[in-house]
Amino acid sequence: MGIGLKVRRLALLAGMAACAFGLSAAEAAEKHKIFLSMSFIGNDWQAEAANMVKAMASHKSLADKVDLQVQVAGPNAQRQIQQINAMVQAGAEAIVIFPISPTALNQVVKNACDKGVKVFAYDAEITEPCAYNVHIDQEEAGRVTAEWLVKKLNGKGNIIAVTGVPGTSVDDLRTKAAKEVFAKHPDIKIVGEAVGMWSQAVARTELSKILATRSWNDINGLWMQVGCFTANSMQLEAGKKTSELLPCAGEGSNGGRIQMLPEGTNVEGAAPPYAPLGAPRISYASPPYSGALALKLAVEAIEGKDVPKTTILPLPVVTNETIKLCDEGTWAEMKAGCNAFKPSLVSNPGWFASIFSDQTPEIGLNAALVGQPEN
Amino acid sequence: MSSAAISSRVLAGFGLRRALVRHRGALIAAIVLAILLFIVDWISAGPLTYFDVSFLSSGGATSALAAVGQTIVILSGGFDLSAGAVISLVNVVLASSMDPMAPGASILLWTVVGIGVGMAVGAFNGFFIAVLRMQPIVVTLSTMFILQGVTLLVMDKPGGFVSPDLGSFYLGDAITGWLPMPLVVIGLVLLAWFWLKGTRFGTALYAVGSDPDSAAAVGINVVLVRFAVYVIAGGCYGLAGVFISAQTGSADPLVGNPLLLSMFAAVVVGGTRLGGGQGGPVGTVFGAYILMMVVNILLVLNVSAYYSTIAEGTILVLAALAGSLSHTSVLAVQLRAARARLAAWRAGILPSQLEPIDRRLKIAGPTQNQRGPASPRPAFRLRNAETLRYALPAYACLLIIVIVTQVWLGRAILNPGYWNSLLVLSSFLAVLALGHGTVILTGGLDLSVPWTIGISGIILAGMVNGSDTALLYALPVVLVMACAIGFANGFGIAYLGISPIVMTLATNGILQGFALVYSQGTPAGFSSPMLRWFMTARLGSVTPVVLLMVVFVAGAVLLLGRTPFGRRVYGIGNGLRAARLSGIGVERTLILVYMLSAVCAAVVGIMLTGFSGQASLGMGDDYLLPSIAVVVVGGALITGGRGHYLGMLGGVLLLTALQMLLAGTTLPYATRAILYGLVVLGAVMALRERRLQ
Repeated sequence: MGIGLKVRRLALLAGMAACAFGLSAAEAAEKHKIFLSMSFIGNDWQAEAANMVKAMASHKSLADKVDLQVQVAGPNAQRQIQQINAMVQAGAEAIVIFPISPTALNQVVKNACDKGVKVFAYDAEITEPCAYNVHIDQEEAGRVTAEWLVKKLNGKGNIIAVTGVPGTSVDDLRTKAAKEVFAKHPDIKIVGEAVGMWSQAVARTELSKILATRSWNDINGLWMQVGCFTANSMQLEAGKKTSELLPCAGEGSNGGRIQMLPEGTNVEGAAPPYAPLGAPRISYASPPYSGALALKLAVEAIEGKDVPKTTILPLPVVTNETIKLCDEGTWAEMKAGCNAFKPSLVSNPGWFASIFSDQTPEIGLNAALVGQPEN
Repeated sequence: MSSAAISSRVLAGFGLRRALVRHRGALIAAIVLAILLFIVDWISAGPLTYFDVSFLSSGGATSALAAVGQTIVILSGGFDLSAGAVISLVNVVLASSMDPMAPGASILLWTVVGIGVGMAVGAFNGFFIAVLRMQPIVVTLSTMFILQGVTLLVMDKPGGFVSPDLGSFYLGDAITGWLPMPLVVIGLVLLAWFWLKGTRFGTALYAVGSDPDSAAAVGINVVLVRFAVYVIAGGCYGLAGVFISAQTGSADPLVGNPLLLSMFAAVVVGGTRLGGGQGGPVGTVFGAYILMMVVNILLVLNVSAYYSTIAEGTILVLAALAGSLSHTSVLAVQLRAARARLAAWRAGILPSQLEPIDRRLKIAGPTQNQRGPASPRPAFRLRNAETLRYALPAYACLLIIVIVTQVWLGRAILNPGYWNSLLVLSSFLAVLALGHGTVILTGGLDLSVPWTIGISGIILAGMVNGSDTALLYALPVVLVMACAIGFANGFGIAYLGISPIVMTLATNGILQGFALVYSQGTPAGFSSPMLRWFMTARLGSVTPVVLLMVVFVAGAVLLLGRTPFGRRVYGIGNGLRAARLSGIGVERTLILVYMLSAVCAAVVGIMLTGFSGQASLGMGDDYLLPSIAVVVVGGALITGGRGHYLGMLGGVLLLTALQMLLAGTTLPYATRAILYGLVVLGAVMALRERRLQ
């Protein structure tokens, strides 16, 4: 069946979709057909990562080479399996995946590899050996943050741990590594543990439950996968002064980063609690640029370059010593060392600020916010 | 295919016309599936090959098998929320007990193990539901929590090993190049079903689903039938678990959970009526494949990711509408009624056009004032015996939980902070309980709660953006939008005759799409200081929202107990036809009920935005199942007609206090999930139905 016939049939069927498809089909002769299979789109991290992938695909260095189609699988691994199958059938050269499960996709990924499709997983891992993986070392994330907290508390104190989504590898690796560190220091006691689901809103609900039977004064530190921003707000609501905020090891949200800036710093658009507080923090993240990098590597792999099967990204860690406000958030500026963004540019404090990578000069703040690449 | 052979045999047995009517749901599902297949074939690059068919058949098999089990439960008038959890459990059990070093694995053995695990869970469910006469929804919800805990105990992260033998058997070909194995497995299950349906048990199953009292009256052992239904359904979920293990070659403790909602959609799209007695697994299998095909259609049409849930929701509604098109469908009846009204209006004989004179029958009788001393008002305890029986257990359990908290963690009973936290954290579910509770009282369900909460919070935060003045116009805008959402739900259910589950599930998907498009994936804005003060500040030792809750609860009790609207709601729940014949404007009332539910969800979205300071995508996801659970734990009947708001409030306080107790401990998550499930199960033991006479 010729492309022309196909386009005509599509045009008959659905106007809008047909236009988009028709355009790309006409130009796609020379382009690499690459699919992005995302997981659940209804969360901040996923949306940001998707924006960055789209920005990467539209950057001038790749725009002529890549025909990118984005599909969402939701939280359902079954669906992602079906989707990857359909992508292979549709003639994908590479598939970039946020894997819902590290194991459930193995068979279908192997199938795709056997047909010569390059499969790249970002952020989380696919255990099938033929897949390429791009992610951080989750154990390192758990260990580094726990060690920072122990040092901050001089090896002694009561802490609360707020974990991620139970039953996922990422949560398991981070939490186990952190607990190993805490176990080496018998005077560090975990007095409360809650499942935070990697959400600020859930972190607040869970902390409220814990604090119903406990007081902030009985607690010396917090280890959270997501929720330091919320924990600081709650301490202020409970009447603590900014100088009394507890050390918190946690996520890389922009709200948390702004709170790390010394109190009194002049920041455009800041309003408490999304404001400089001088909060004692270590901020780490699974960086949302991993999908964009995976796309770039996928193109390289299609073009025959040698790409390693596993790319371990450097763990982005920011402490009160290294925090620095960005002016505009261009890649060049981040390269010079800034790592927090003005609330006037990023109005959502839960937005993930670890968007800088040496390897992705194509994308900066605008890529993460609206999917627009750097010049 | 085997089912074609079967249906031709059935056709011969009953006569063509009668069989067509009887199997209309399944037939229409089959036609829709055929059309979808044709569309995919038409717009994709090449013709549909055996390879594609094989892929498609394995893609939909897990949900088809599980949905067959769910169908059997629904046919018997039940409801099973534990299906997804069983699939996960079977998956981890298989993957953690197979030996990666062994050269081969026995397909028969592991299939039996999987089905056995499923049946054991089914027996657990069946014992509580059939023998102890407890409500299916709350029993299976507890089972779901318990199983999720057990699954995490077996395997706390993805991994394990499932022998490739299993995969090559279940995903391979039965006849190379002609018949893929997944279709054979489904065909065998359907054959088993047809055999079962022909037995006395099959007749009893439909009888119990249609009317349990009549079934018992003609000598059917209702307890045994119900028990067996859950065991059989458990076996189906177990087989689905075996299939997904074969398909993935390993295990993931979270793999089954997201299958639950689409399973119900598959059942309804396949033409089975929720509430029991009508439909069957054949249509369900088609329904499951219809839902699966949508993935492929979205892909070939290259629908943008933000619009995919909107497209899915629309397809769901269209499929349901197509399934109900007939002379007797609600839509047809409504259209005829509208035409009759129009004709009456033209002729000038519409009741509202007649002269307003009192046409009521004059019945002589004692009025309120003339009531003689011979009939004194019965004591409060007697008048409200039924309400008390179903509402009090939640409060009794709450008392126990608070005492346990005091003993275990200290600082509870005499600590005003504890009570304040309990009330603030309860406030969200308390508001939802009114909306969702009212929907449940009419015998419906509102699955659009999560994204009604989400989109309300996101739009409010975006409009308010930290300004108290903006709150003044943002609040009405959000509430009006919620009314529109509720109206759409109610309209679809009352006038188009779409089942509440399908309609609200579709609305939920469409709202999710709108929220994504509106926020471009990143919700902007944050709560205003006043809203945050309202949810988090302290006046003395009380948060302002607690004061509002007192007013809200009083208003809710009056609304449901003392107004014509409340009485209409109970009337509809107790019997739609009786309600209609008593002159209740059923359509209007239903629309108002769903509007109330949407407004309550929107209020929760606003409250959550104030509580967290910002809105996030998916902020409502954690409130769907709890909002059903509290209503049922509070003594309401899931099929409608019975329940009191104060009972639901007791359910809210009980579940929140329980979560606070568990959060205060350092127990691992798996243990907490199991305890949570067990306590909920224990709490509703007191709500057992009375023994059938």
